[in-house]
Amino acid sequence: MSANPEPPKAPAPPPPPAKDTFTVIFDGRPVEVPKNLNLIDAAKLAGVEIPHFCYHPRLSVVGQCRMCLVEIEGMPKIQAACTTPLKDGLSVKTTTEKVRSSRAATMEFLLINHPLDCPICDQAGECTLQDNSFGYGQQLSEYDEAKRQYPTFDRTPIGPNVIADMTRCIQCTRCIRFCQEIAGTSELTFLDRGGRTLVWTHDGGPLANEWSACAADVCPVGALTVRQFRFRSRVWYLQKTPSICPGCNIGCNNSIEARENVVYRFLPRLNPDVNDYWLCDHGRFLSESLNLRDVSKATWREAGAVRDLPVPAAVDRIAAEIRGAIETKGAASIFFLGSAHLSNEENFLLRKLADHLACPNRDVVVDRGKPRKIKSQKGWITGEEAAPNFRGAREMGLTPGRGGYGLEAVLSGKSAPDVVIAADAEFGAAADDPAAVAALRKAKFLAVAARRSNALTRAADVVLPAASLAEKDGTFTNLQGRAQKFERAFLSKPPVRAHWELLLLLAAALGWGDPDWTPAELRARIAEEVPGYGDRPESELDGGRLLKKGDFAWKGAL
Amino acid sequence: MSHTRYRVQEAGAPRPFPPEAMARIEKILKRYPTKQAALLPVLWVAQETWGWVSKESAEEVARLLGLPVSHVDGVLTFYTMYNLRPVGKHLLQFCTSISCHLAGAGRLVARCEKRLGIGLEETTADGKFTLLEVECIAGCDRAPSMMINDAYHEPMDEKKLDDLLDRLGRES
Amino acid sequence: MDPVLTARIAKPGSRGIDGYVADGGYGAWKKVLSEGWTPERLTEEVKKSGLRGRGGAGFPTGVKWGFIPKDTKGKPVYLLCNADESEPGTFKDRLLMEKDPHQVVEGVILSAYAIKCRDAYIYIRGEFYDGARILEAAVAEAYAQGFLGEKILGSAYSLDLTVHRGAGAYICGEETGLIESLEGKRGQPRIKPPFPAVSGVFGAPTIVNNVETLACVVHIVNRGAEWFAKIGRNEKNTGPKLYCLSGQVNRPGVYEAALGLQLKDLIFGDAYGGGMKDGRKVKAVIPGGASANMLTAAEIEDCPLDFDGVAAKGSMLGSAAIIVMNEDTCIVDAARNLSKFFSHESCGQCTPCREGTPWLHKVLDRIEEGAGRPEDIALLERICNQMANGMTICVFADAAIAGPLSSVKKFADEYRHHVENKRCLVGPRAEAAAVTV
Repeated sequence: MSANPEPPKAPAPPPPPAKDTFTVIFDGRPVEVPKNLNLIDAAKLAGVEIPHFCYHPRLSVVGQCRMCLVEIEGMPKIQAACTTPLKDGLSVKTTTEKVRSSRAATMEFLLINHPLDCPICDQAGECTLQDNSFGYGQQLSEYDEAKRQYPTFDRTPIGPNVIADMTRCIQCTRCIRFCQEIAGTSELTFLDRGGRTLVWTHDGGPLANEWSACAADVCPVGALTVRQFRFRSRVWYLQKTPSICPGCNIGCNNSIEARENVVYRFLPRLNPDVNDYWLCDHGRFLSESLNLRDVSKATWREAGAVRDLPVPAAVDRIAAEIRGAIETKGAASIFFLGSAHLSNEENFLLRKLADHLACPNRDVVVDRGKPRKIKSQKGWITGEEAAPNFRGAREMGLTPGRGGYGLEAVLSGKSAPDVVIAADAEFGAAADDPAAVAALRKAKFLAVAARRSNALTRAADVVLPAASLAEKDGTFTNLQGRAQKFERAFLSKPPVRAHWELLLLLAAALGWGDPDWTPAELRARIAEEVPGYGDRPESELDGGRLLKKGDFAWKGAL
Repeated sequence: MSHTRYRVQEAGAPRPFPPEAMARIEKILKRYPTKQAALLPVLWVAQETWGWVSKESAEEVARLLGLPVSHVDGVLTFYTMYNLRPVGKHLLQFCTSISCHLAGAGRLVARCEKRLGIGLEETTADGKFTLLEVECIAGCDRAPSMMINDAYHEPMDEKKLDDLLDRLGRES
Repeated sequence: MDPVLTARIAKPGSRGIDGYVADGGYGAWKKVLSEGWTPERLTEEVKKSGLRGRGGAGFPTGVKWGFIPKDTKGKPVYLLCNADESEPGTFKDRLLMEKDPHQVVEGVILSAYAIKCRDAYIYIRGEFYDGARILEAAVAEAYAQGFLGEKILGSAYSLDLTVHRGAGAYICGEETGLIESLEGKRGQPRIKPPFPAVSGVFGAPTIVNNVETLACVVHIVNRGAEWFAKIGRNEKNTGPKLYCLSGQVNRPGVYEAALGLQLKDLIFGDAYGGGMKDGRKVKAVIPGGASANMLTAAEIEDCPLDFDGVAAKGSMLGSAAIIVMNEDTCIVDAARNLSKFFSHESCGQCTPCREGTPWLHKVLDRIEEGAGRPEDIALLERICNQMANGMTICVFADAAIAGPLSSVKKFADEYRHHVENKRCLVGPRAEAAAVTV
């Protein structure tokens, strides 16, 4: 009997691609979630809120606050969600009576020693303890013992930028972990133990790392607050506007927090690719500088006297000088200076205007700054330029054209333009350097747009009042080449206008462009004309998500 | 016990360890795979060298072991046996946990306070005695138990306590 | 039962290695090496003996050893001897270490061999100055005689043993608190999983065993698992056991007996406690250290002192620390004392324990001081119930509520008397004038 030859084995089907998600069941509802998530974040993705204090997505998991209690099928005891490893088929219950009462218990324990000084606490309104108390606490407390106090550790500076009120501390250790794990400076520690546990520094030394205010950011209560912001505004009066830090070329995503045309503070916006949850103190505390202004009218200097005049008249005056120079000496007698502090849209407009006039003399410069470091989710980023948008300004074409010259030639005296248009009076340190200003002043006509007076504005023939970062829209391109949008927090007070508006006025006066263009339309033009800017995803432009102090963005943000 | 262990900033002993202490530390370091693991033993060396662990000692230990000094502080204040300030020549440690409590430890502490004129965690003006309450020291079968420095004195009673305080008080 | 673990403690010179060897000491270790026992065989022997951990949890020792992964991925395995004996009422390990230290050292060596450990540590509480000195001397002697060190007794096995002193923290008796402490940190218990057998000290597989547990291993090897398993009340509660008897009895002390000794025998037996001091009556007994629920006088009837016998009474054997309170003991005062201990010793990391332990103490304090209110009794129960059963990382909080909660349930009348009459029902303060609030 001849055995049938075995049919050739079909090649084994390739194993199904390993699933990179787990199915987790939240209150009976199965949800696919990425494997590497913490259960709290997985729940967040599924739209399920698990309250917590000590858990922070970028800090090690300590499981100490015992707020994120849930029931896990198969486990008799209540479990902390943050320390429960994710696995396929995990069934999590977040709405049972046991969960409710356990969380209420933790809230009660947290509140027995927490001062009820919310009326004078800066954290009020963005306090996780308040929020969780509202959502998960109970109205009455049977605790009527004296509350714990840390008498010499209250209302005390714990560093140059952070004030400690340790009586409010809930011992979540986020600040300790921030200093250990992110800053790497380990200033803070637990002292003593049990109900006497105190967070403090060695020998009362300063919490003074480059990101010290982030320790206050991660504080879910009012134990650590930012000195500069203390008692300045109730946070619920502040409007958050997505912006970009002007401090260096990293382009940290922040929000401008403002009220009635005053900037009160910057907070980080969550962007894992750039600044993650963090801001450096240098950048953060530039917020106050946005409120500074001593140029609020257009001025015209003639025969040694300085006169106010309406902005359109001042712009006409500049246009007339430009036309005159072109007529007598040609466009090559004009020098356009952009700025690494101005947006891509503005620098683009300036370059287009120069192109329109066939003027090849244009430039942008940047000062080297003290290196600034920030820890993105992928690692450290170092910014070495003292302005946010040098790369973008260059990419908009602000380099000398064929046969043209740049700032260096002007400052060295090699080139002597008749008309100098400096789009930003704060384009760099040179603007306050007497020798540099003298070199620029050699031109017959010098016009600048400015918010704050400096040597350059004092030397200029025409000064236009220009908006701050908070008063306009635009994009900056950071050192990674990422074009990131900042939005207007509030309108400038007339006659102050955004640099791009002033440039559009000037362009119109010179017979180019459309004064109705908006930054968005300019961005569309940039996308058409500037290599590399054509297919920027909207998400990159929009950047990070808004955060509040003490907590982090809710839906979808991890 | 309401006493807290926050402050470690009193003026300190000279910083460097004497050579014999350094030799002990070198030996200790060989017993562990990490320098950090030597922290408790090295703090013991500091305490045995100077009688307490000053801010400066904590800094020196941190330097020797390559640890943040805040970490050293955290450890130093967690464990109750490290003295954060100078203590008397005789450290009187009364156990007041349950078995000793049932055997009248509280009365002994009160008697001691009265005789020495000091409260808990305090040191007599002559620097001879420091009085402490401690938790169970595993002398429950000879309750009430107490230790003076590193030696047990158990079971203790009022007569023996009086005699002890008299004798130690007379020593120069 | 003839004494096993305490057979040598009364001998003159019981601490020295010569006497120990003369009594057959290190015989188990020599036997394992000369008979070529594999670590697996030793583990199997311990499994067969039924030995359960003597530190408090009563987990089967051989099973615990078996949790060490087969492949440790190049990581060393550590054995930590838990000599942090801090449970109020417990003093048996102190006796073993001070009086027969080589028995402990030999137990450590055997157990280290069983789990293929290269470096072992004895973590001894800081207050045991004598114990540490005696153990250090014993370890030095064991090195000198070749029982420890490189290539022990000509075998391929090497082991180093270090005595490591704590510095005053009850929580370091919890095995992950002990691990953190040994690493030079605050003794804050770790989140589990991972369990120490997988990732313990220095991130490596680690076994933590109590002093008495390790001492038992010596005798299991010497006399065999069957011998050990025959001692004790039943097959789940085997071997000799050290009982720590304290409180208001005639003869407090460490008593060795087969696991399952009747609690009443321990208190009243002539060979043991010899009855209540001054002929008073029993009011309450804590059968397993400060972490265990109190038993009433009625509950001590037919209470075998083993893991399951005490559990059946709603308490636990724990570290076998039996604390006896007589009828003159104010139960509120006793609970207050226990709560003071736990408030002082809480590590402070978990909210319910950090905040709950001092709160419990404050409420008990005010009841005892005559300032309690009727609703305080329900409050006490509520605080306790809110602290335990998964509310915290470790079981310290569960231990902290045992005394207060069991006493408030079992001696409710006495609590009620306190809040209604503003003074104690019994004890020295019973007659004191009512405190006006």
